[in-house]
Amino acid sequence: MSDHPAVEVRGLVKEFQTSFRGPKLRAVDHVSLSIEPGEVYGLIGPNGSGKSTTMKALLGLVKPTSGRCAIFGKDSLKVDSRNDVGFLPENPYFYKHLTGGETIKFYGKLCGMRGSNLKGRVDEMLELVGLEDARNRRLGGYSKGMLQRIGLAQALVQDPRLVVLDEPTAGVDPSGSREIRDLILTLKQRGTTVFLCSHLLEQVQEVCDKVGIINHGKMVREGRLDELISVQDRTEFVIENASPELLDQIRNLVDVTHGVDLVSEGHPRTTLESLFLQETREPPENRSGQVIAKTKKRRKSIYK
Amino acid sequence: MSASKTSFISPRRIIIIAQSTITQLVRMKVFYFLLPVAALFVAIQFFNPPWYDGPEAAQPEQELQMHKNLCLGAMMLFGALFAIVSTALLIPRDIEDRTLYTILCKPVPRLDYLIGKLLGVMAVIAIAMLAMDLLLIITLKYRTDSLLAMLEPFLQQREWPQELIEKKLAEVASHGPTITLQYAVLAYFLKASVVAAIALLISTFSTSTLFTIASTTMVYIIGAAQSIAREGLFDRGGLAEDSGAIGKVLATIVSLIFPDFQLFDSIAEAATRAAAVTSQDILHLSGLSFFYLAIYVVLSWFIFSDKEF
Repeated sequence: MSDHPAVEVRGLVKEFQTSFRGPKLRAVDHVSLSIEPGEVYGLIGPNGSGKSTTMKALLGLVKPTSGRCAIFGKDSLKVDSRNDVGFLPENPYFYKHLTGGETIKFYGKLCGMRGSNLKGRVDEMLELVGLEDARNRRLGGYSKGMLQRIGLAQALVQDPRLVVLDEPTAGVDPSGSREIRDLILTLKQRGTTVFLCSHLLEQVQEVCDKVGIINHGKMVREGRLDELISVQDRTEFVIENASPELLDQIRNLVDVTHGVDLVSEGHPRTTLESLFLQETREPPENRSGQVIAKTKKRRKSIYK
Repeated sequence: MSASKTSFISPRRIIIIAQSTITQLVRMKVFYFLLPVAALFVAIQFFNPPWYDGPEAAQPEQELQMHKNLCLGAMMLFGALFAIVSTALLIPRDIEDRTLYTILCKPVPRLDYLIGKLLGVMAVIAIAMLAMDLLLIITLKYRTDSLLAMLEPFLQQREWPQELIEKKLAEVASHGPTITLQYAVLAYFLKASVVAAIALLISTFSTSTLFTIASTTMVYIIGAAQSIAREGLFDRGGLAEDSGAIGKVLATIVSLIFPDFQLFDSIAEAATRAAAVTSQDILHLSGLSFFYLAIYVVLSWFIFSDKEF
């Protein structure tokens, strides 16, 4: 393993000339961040805050006005640095004339893969993103979600140590979004570093170890997620099967203790996403064409 | 994946990009344009020049010259048109569709990408030229054979000496499919390749496909008219006396930036007249084309290597 951080951005500044004589627009203003190997890092911020420009600078697609970006110690502007990176752009478009299988093969070849190694990897990637059935269909006939998945497959084809994902769930339905999130967690388990750029905060919260918040081109907060979001002076209990008597006792205990307040109480709720997935996710046997009737039992299981 | 060193230029990667470009153009159904060309080549069989008096005039080579003129003209036009449009479509589309992001984020040097795209277009032009060449050979052979079959009894009837008949037949046969004709096709392929390289250069800084097509067409017209302008301005007195050394330097600069397409056309004209074209001429033309291709690729690379997406 390398001693270098997976990603190192130091004092990155990027300015764009908006018009011939007009002033320069500073899209990224002295941004610094570091991602250690195996970490999942989420860069969040509103539209136009400089997230994508930071990513593009890291991938060598734009040249920093000042500052430096490096991947595993290699300067991002050098082609060598891209041996270890897989990139999924926001709303990716690929060659529509190629089939799913041909697309992954093309990108694999560009990474220097060939022969049975490449063939095996193409099969593996198609299986990973669930597109085996669509391998011989041209990308012109793919849905947005399918394009996103084939984008993920091409990003992972050379088994990179760093995966850069720009809005990976943009335009994907909740079920597909969940699958991409699971895939990020799988990558994390395998020790792959993930640099995620998103404005879906819930998703970032679920998968990231570290988070950076960028606004108007500046990094406004950065750190470990659990440290950033925990409210240090509050405590939460979720108790199952508590009797009314026990709850009364707890309330009374809080009442009589000086300097302690009960801020809220209630029943935990499921999320709309969980409800949606429960109602729309088809069991495996149904995917192969069999019609399975939904049962009341399944609906009840949401709350378990 | 191990962090291996990426070579500055890799023939393998270039071939992968070229193959992908060929597949892209083939699946865009660009070869459909060969259908009207085929129809045109067949239709030309039935046309004669207005000044032509038939075999009775004992000058059937005029008929064959016209056949070659029209077919080679069509090949030149389609070759140049194809080179401009297909090259102008490829890179701007890759940028607009963000396909380029995913390619350049793999270990692919930008020079490899440019050369791969150009070679892909050149390969498709070569396939199209070969197909048109085959059609030309078939139709011209058929027409030459028909004329020869008609001419021999006609001349015998007019009591030409056998020696003169054979000489005449050999002369007419020299206007059929010959190696010189193949040189003309090669010259037009080289011309289309240089046009594709110009379109590649323009597309590296242009903001739209339309601009690339319009600009390349302009360069093409300047290149085609360059020798006429040079002749008028410098070789025949003209401005030469006033402009002197500056004018000559200017002319040299213009000839470096804009290739002299007349050089390519002169080979085809010689083929039409069944004049001798030596392999030396063809080597010279190939060398010149390679020089222009190299210059335009290097210039494209200079611009493209600093381009931001």
